[in-house]
Amino acid sequence: MQREGSAFQGLGVVTLKELSDHLTSTRMRVLEWLVVLVALAALYGAIQQIKDTTAEDPFLFLRLFTTSRDPLPSFVSFLSFLVPLMAIGLGFDAVNGEHNRRTLSRILAQPIYRDALLFGKFLAGLVTLSISLISLWLIVIGLGLLLIGIPPGGEEIARSFVFLLVTIVYAGVWLALALLFSIVFRSAATAALVTLGIWLFFTFIWPVLAGAVAQIIVPPDPRYMALGLQTPGTAIAEQVLARFSPSTLYAEIVVALLDPTTRALGPIYLSQLQGAVLGAPLPLGASVLIAWPQIVGMVATAILLFVIGYVIFQRQEVRA
Amino acid sequence: MRYGLIAALAAFAVVIAPAVKADDAPKDVKGIFLMSDFPAVTLRPGETSTVSLRLQNYDTAPDRLALSVSGVPKGWTATLMGGGQPVQAAMPATNSSVSLDLRLDVPKNAPMGTQTLTVAATGSSTNLQLPIAVTLAKDLPAKLSLTPQLPELRGTSKSSFEYDLNIKNDSGKKLTVSLSAQAPKNFDASFTEQYGTQELNAVPVDAGQSKTVKLKVTPPNTANAGEYKVTARIAAEDASATTDLGLDITGQPKLDVSGREGLVSTRAAAGKETSVPVVITNTGTAPAEDVELSGSAPSGWKITFNPTTVDRIAPDKNKEVQALITPTDKAIAGDYVTSITASARGESASTDFRVTVTTSTMWGIAGVGIIGVALLVMVGAVARFGRR
Repeated sequence: MQREGSAFQGLGVVTLKELSDHLTSTRMRVLEWLVVLVALAALYGAIQQIKDTTAEDPFLFLRLFTTSRDPLPSFVSFLSFLVPLMAIGLGFDAVNGEHNRRTLSRILAQPIYRDALLFGKFLAGLVTLSISLISLWLIVIGLGLLLIGIPPGGEEIARSFVFLLVTIVYAGVWLALALLFSIVFRSAATAALVTLGIWLFFTFIWPVLAGAVAQIIVPPDPRYMALGLQTPGTAIAEQVLARFSPSTLYAEIVVALLDPTTRALGPIYLSQLQGAVLGAPLPLGASVLIAWPQIVGMVATAILLFVIGYVIFQRQEVRA
Repeated sequence: MRYGLIAALAAFAVVIAPAVKADDAPKDVKGIFLMSDFPAVTLRPGETSTVSLRLQNYDTAPDRLALSVSGVPKGWTATLMGGGQPVQAAMPATNSSVSLDLRLDVPKNAPMGTQTLTVAATGSSTNLQLPIAVTLAKDLPAKLSLTPQLPELRGTSKSSFEYDLNIKNDSGKKLTVSLSAQAPKNFDASFTEQYGTQELNAVPVDAGQSKTVKLKVTPPNTANAGEYKVTARIAAEDASATTDLGLDITGQPKLDVSGREGLVSTRAAAGKETSVPVVITNTGTAPAEDVELSGSAPSGWKITFNPTTVDRIAPDKNKEVQALITPTDKAIAGDYVTSITASARGESASTDFRVTVTTSTMWGIAGVGIIGVALLVMVGAVARFGRR
């Protein structure tokens, strides 16, 4: 039976309710404290490192994000681990939780479509993540101002802002994945485990696996091996495979955005570097253009995962 | 009478002197003689000169001879020296000679003219006298001549002009010749050894000898085309000589490449042709003819010029051409350096242009399209699967 009227009727109500649930939940508080404390630790390490190694750097502020000091990883690497955790933590029981609490039928008895319910849940999760990420971003800039004492330039602010947006999209990918599995599996624990498993697979195992698979697809050329070089075909295949992982995409985007001297992501031939002025920073537009395929890939992945979840949810029996 | 005899004897001794050397003891000459190679000399006032004398004993027993000088004008000092010391007597052995020097200190204000000094050697049986005529005169004037081997040279304002100059000392003594050259303003002139780099201010030239030095004239880079004159002058004591040297500077074009208003950077999209204005200025002194343009860029890049050559650029004028730069398709975003060279008959100039390559935004649009498709799928799903 086709619905009547807008699919988004009641979207606002669901979003606001979900948002308030998220923001007041203990889970969210724990996740936020985890992220903030860990990020602050990384940031403190970075600032100490920057203070120790005073060097002229036109993009000193961006170093806040990328500099690491043993034993802590950099702020960016922390984010790339913790943002998926946060997103999965927020999304893994979005739909099956309603099932298990037997509240789904009750909600849908209201003049709210399933569309609006799912959209609202996703939006609320994304807004929650955005709020915490924006606060984190502001904390970084504020602490940077306080502890380094150098105001960031417009270009740096713009770059870090694009970085913030990309991080939100990255969170969206994992949120959509978590939402999908919360639809597919009735048990919240199963959904959480499967989502975390996929995250672990793509973040830690896939990059290693990609190299092995690439060598099978494009066997290394012995001539290159004799020279101790990677065969270009294998390197390209490995990169293409590795880019199936959102973590890889995110890492590449971060490199392009936060290191303005990055000119290409992926293998380049020496001939392409001939005559190149190395170390010259690229304008923001060019950097975004370099990382654009990755950004597009992430946005599209998020949308597609959501759509799959949406279709499954629409076809599901909810009156269990 | 006796005086004349001794003079005659002395003259005789001079005449036979070569024979004495050839045949050490002439058989028909016997006795002790006081001799001088040159008993009449010309001296300069204010100088110390020596006249060499000799006491020669032929086949007689050695005799102690007291030496004296008489007829010394007032103010002069005449000292007889033997073996480097003043001596008062000499004793030549049989068939041998004793060399003596008559040292004369002539005061500066001594009047010109001829004075006769008499050197006497008096022994137990001999009384020898040798008159020495001393004429005071201004010495033979030092005489120098300066001859350039190639007096006229031609070159550009960038070349250095090297003249070989022959200095001849025609005077009777060794001279230290000071060297100087008068060149137009801002021209650099220096003397060096003929085969060497050491710069010189003066060279010693032996009497009657000649020496070649090199005069190197370097015009300033900005020297206009034209004829210039350089005067080389040498001087020693009161002699001097000059010679005029010609310098014909032919003009030289000098090129300078830059962008319009000095801007040497541009942006270019990978794989797309971009036009950059290039200004070629001739800052030299002669027109630059047939200026050819070339560019060196990373491999795979294409640089052409429109027009490819410039016929003529007058001094202090400039011409603008368009450089058409096409970065390779594979160029990665960022800055590259390409060098643009203008050359005209040996003169060339090049400037590095910084080309900021932007990659095509086509993929960006494609990416937006992909996101659009994803959104369409979503809208389609919403429309298709929407249900109560």
